Amino acid sequence: MKRIPLYDGIHLNIIPSDKFKTNYFDFNMIVPLRSETASLNALFPSVLKRGSQQYPSISALNQKLDELYSTTLSARVFKRGEAQIVGFTTDFLKNSFLPEKTDLLEEALSVIEDIVYRPLTEKDAFRADYTESEKTNLIDSINAQMNNKNAYAMQKCVSIMCQQEAYGTTELGTVADVNNITPVTLYSHYKEVLEQAQIELFFTGECEEEQLTKQLLKLFAGKKRTKVLPCETQIIKTVDTIKEVTEEMPVNQGKLSLGFRTGFTLKDKNYAYFSLFNELYGGSPTSKLFENVREKLSLCYYCRSIPEAHKGVLIVASGIEVQNRELAQKEILAQLETVKKGDFSEEEIVSAKKSVVNSYRELYDDARALSSWYLSRVIVEDYSSPEDTVSTVLAASATDIKDASQNIILDTVYFLKGTLEGKGEEE
Amino acid sequence: MNFVLKENKSIGEKYYYKKHKSGLDIYVIPKNHGTGYAVFGTHFGSIDNHFIVNGKEIVLPDGIAHFLEHKLFENEDGIDTFKKYAKYGASANAYTSSDKTVYLFSATENFTESLEILLDFVTHPYFTDETVKKEQGIIGQEIRMYDDNPGWRLYFNMLRALYVNHPARIDTAGTVETISKITPETLYDAYNTFYNLHNMALCVCADIDPETVEKTADKLLSEAPEVSFKRIFPEEPKQVNQKNIEQPLQVSMPLFAIGIKDPDVNLSGKDLMKKNAEYDILLELIFGKSAPFYTKLYESGLINSSFSYDYESHLNFAHCEISGYSNNPDQVYAEICKEIVRVQTSGFAAAEFERVKRVIYAQNIRVFNSTDDIANDFLSYIFTSGDMLDYPSVIAEVTLSDIEKRFSESFLEEYFVLSKILPISK
Repeated sequence: MKRIPLYDGIHLNIIPSDKFKTNYFDFNMIVPLRSETASLNALFPSVLKRGSQQYPSISALNQKLDELYSTTLSARVFKRGEAQIVGFTTDFLKNSFLPEKTDLLEEALSVIEDIVYRPLTEKDAFRADYTESEKTNLIDSINAQMNNKNAYAMQKCVSIMCQQEAYGTTELGTVADVNNITPVTLYSHYKEVLEQAQIELFFTGECEEEQLTKQLLKLFAGKKRTKVLPCETQIIKTVDTIKEVTEEMPVNQGKLSLGFRTGFTLKDKNYAYFSLFNELYGGSPTSKLFENVREKLSLCYYCRSIPEAHKGVLIVASGIEVQNRELAQKEILAQLETVKKGDFSEEEIVSAKKSVVNSYRELYDDARALSSWYLSRVIVEDYSSPEDTVSTVLAASATDIKDASQNIILDTVYFLKGTLEGKGEEE
Repeated sequence: MNFVLKENKSIGEKYYYKKHKSGLDIYVIPKNHGTGYAVFGTHFGSIDNHFIVNGKEIVLPDGIAHFLEHKLFENEDGIDTFKKYAKYGASANAYTSSDKTVYLFSATENFTESLEILLDFVTHPYFTDETVKKEQGIIGQEIRMYDDNPGWRLYFNMLRALYVNHPARIDTAGTVETISKITPETLYDAYNTFYNLHNMALCVCADIDPETVEKTADKLLSEAPEVSFKRIFPEEPKQVNQKNIEQPLQVSMPLFAIGIKDPDVNLSGKDLMKKNAEYDILLELIFGKSAPFYTKLYESGLINSSFSYDYESHLNFAHCEISGYSNNPDQVYAEICKEIVRVQTSGFAAAEFERVKRVIYAQNIRVFNSTDDIANDFLSYIFTSGDMLDYPSVIAEVTLSDIEKRFSESFLEEYFVLSKILPISK
């Protein structure tokens, strides 16, 4: 990856690749995750996408994208640790696949520029109708988080665990916060973000570097920029008392989520050791959790451990029969102890290493995933490539992996208790 | 016989084909990606539970194809297949759909070693009473998980509304009750019929030469006699089974899926590809994000960005699915019917048609970004006697009158159904 500073707090990151039929570009504004602003950040990209000066309606924008050989443009919002990331992604065919001479990169960037910097406004406010309609959509999305029970149970576990921390805020914020937004407050917030956010642009594919840099320098020229907001994530490494919450819902399957503090984040030079621990514990179909909770005890279809690398938390998630809750929890914790004790074979270490190395190397064949790898690291000012990290993985010893697990402590147990009996199906 | 080369220069893709001496069709799609991808599939899915083999008529429990997929990962030597792959770092998986079961892996090194594992474990079944019983617990939880999944329930309810007799009605995994009837014997019945190499295909999309793949096949696969069998499908009318179906679930707002049954089935090869292209173009024309219908419904708040549409096409059943979230699914249904009537009157503009063809062409080229998408899609084409590399030219050949004809014969309200998932409290 080549990192090119454009302006204060604005960087272009170029990841050259000749493997794809398309080029991929994303525009990220990185701001601190705070409960007061989460909903504002989640909302404004959707309002921007509703219409700009050159593309004043959905159909005008979508017709333009169609003309550009089905160029995609998506608004997105997510969090990495206590940083909230909002922005747009686009991908488009490489010029060599077009029957006519067009530069789709230049075209796509000018669409993004119009969407981001030339919104439709009424005085110092976004258009009221677009704002209201996207507020409704955002509220629907917030409420819809409960529909996917696997994800919901994990999210609930995190929000209980991090209730007192910024990380407890979801990337979409709350319904109450969305309701309080007006076209005026949203517009003024949007302008603040453009001035204060760290802006990271990623291009993956084939391009003329000089031409792309020039176009982007022009795009941001004269844009007002104040001090860039820092995004620090609070890392908690101790637990006073374990929080336990059970919620009943009329569903078939119970969802057990255990939340742990790991003490390990991407800022640690040897985060790869923790990745190896996770692979052994619950990150693969040869892991301790899969082999024991699923294959040996036949308790579940899925049981896996999912780390968050910026916040230093780990969630173990499983779907089980309600009456098996104690048994499953006991086994999940027992397997953690075996790894902590270093009770794994040389063969298991070799497999874990191979699997982690394979997953890093596969990133080079997926533009979005590769871009996401670098974005995650840029946030903590680490610019290492997947290939750079491979050598750390290969050099890890059994002691390194064991050591990486020593600070893992249980913080929260969340259980979504299904109350339906037998099959809740109707015809 | 040497490998046959097929090339599509305009999109820069090619493949090699050979019928291996074992009877297996082998396809190698060279790609300069670091990630190599292999799929080994049998033309056997959840709909294939009734057949005649060696003069004997067999009916198997619902969900057996999926159950078999799980069970093949266990081996007689007691070493789980995932463990075998893990030695070489490959990432392995499998899936079962209505018409096929597919075993796959991706790897950035030791590709040939992993390919050996793939060819080996799929061709060596091993089932015992004990392991079958254990799997009933695991799959039971998989089924329970899907019972709570609103999108999944919405989709299968839609299939039940669309089809009167066709086994597309059956949930891929069966039910807790049907899988309780599965035994080692029923698994062997299914395996011995459908897992013969003449009913299977291997697709490799990797930076590899075809001869290397062939050598691996030589090592692992011995010549297999062809097993002749006949699938039995019940007579399926063109008409739908029921217009409406709904299920209450713990969801925040209603979900809708409008199914449109395709009356023109039992096509394969080029004819099927042409029909697919016509449907793809039609759906994009009528429901695409730049079509007036989408804008109108989105702006009125009746639908949101979850709105999507898809045409699912198989040899003897096919349908469109138009789905999303809405507070008023009945209104969405009514608007769709109204739009169809409007299009019947106004017809399609030539310029719009050309714009949409360009969109479909571009979307289709995108598939060639990943070895994963290529290999999996390729296999679907093989099992319907199609050819993935021909699809761009098939799209180009579709004319305005083709889609007008398709539209007038297929988009009739009698073929429409509405499936809804409603919040429990309402």
